[in-house]
Amino acid sequence: MALQVKVGDTFKLQKEVDKYRPIFYAGASGDFNPIHIDGEFGKMVGLGGAILQGLCTMAFVMQTVSDWAQDPYRIKRIKVRFAKPVLPDDSVIITGNVTKVENNVASCTLIAKNQKDEEVINNAFAEVKVG
Amino acid sequence: MAVDKKFIGRKYPPVEYEVCKEKIKEYATAVGDLNPLYIDEQKAKQSAYKGIIAPPLFAVVYAKDAMAAPMFDRDLALNLAMLVHGEQEYEFVDVVRPGDTIVTEAFIANIEEKSNKDFVTVGATSRRKSDGRVVTNGKYTFVIRR
Repeated sequence: MALQVKVGDTFKLQKEVDKYRPIFYAGASGDFNPIHIDGEFGKMVGLGGAILQGLCTMAFVMQTVSDWAQDPYRIKRIKVRFAKPVLPDDSVIITGNVTKVENNVASCTLIAKNQKDEEVINNAFAEVKVG
Repeated sequence: MAVDKKFIGRKYPPVEYEVCKEKIKEYATAVGDLNPLYIDEQKAKQSAYKGIIAPPLFAVVYAKDAMAAPMFDRDLALNLAMLVHGEQEYEFVDVVRPGDTIVTEAFIANIEEKSNKDFVTVGATSRRKSDGRVVTNGKYTFVIRR
């Protein structure tokens, strides 16, 4: 199916992080670092509690692009910078913005913010095959 | 103490991972991405892919064990207690499916020092064992506070 996009197109997705999400993600991914599954440990190392795995937040960003592109493997490249930890009970809003379309590749900038409007992922971009 | 730049280019042994449908489903459910291509056999069969596929970022699952070697490399001696994940990049070259055995090799792509922090970038090249083709290239950048 053809994907028609133009510079300035935007897309968005909201994801809710429930209390046990870091534990589900630990089981699925194998990332059992105690900072993700043990609130007491998280407090001890100054994180204020357990934090969500950055790669889980990155998966939210991937889904945002994939849902918009209607095919996950249209995504050829992605890069994200983890700006701030995502915590259980956070709500994450991911926004994408098409900045360039050239040679059947759309370049998109991406940003993820929590419910307090703080950036949790920034300096992010994806390259998506279009046409 | 700064992480020694002499380790840039160091390579680690290849690690194999066999992709399976149930693990894909578990991962997709955990991240809440319920695309039928990942979890619904019937719908996936009717798609252009003709069957279940792995989410592109499932790469972090099949590359995980290969990534453990640099993390626990005693020469490199990363201070894991002070380490956070700073940046992550992935290039998706080919579709990964259940039944594929993926071979991942990790290597030290870069080490640099900025504002009293160490930035260590580990590369992960993953290939399909059956045809040797690269499926993904990952770059994991870790920041180590001093």
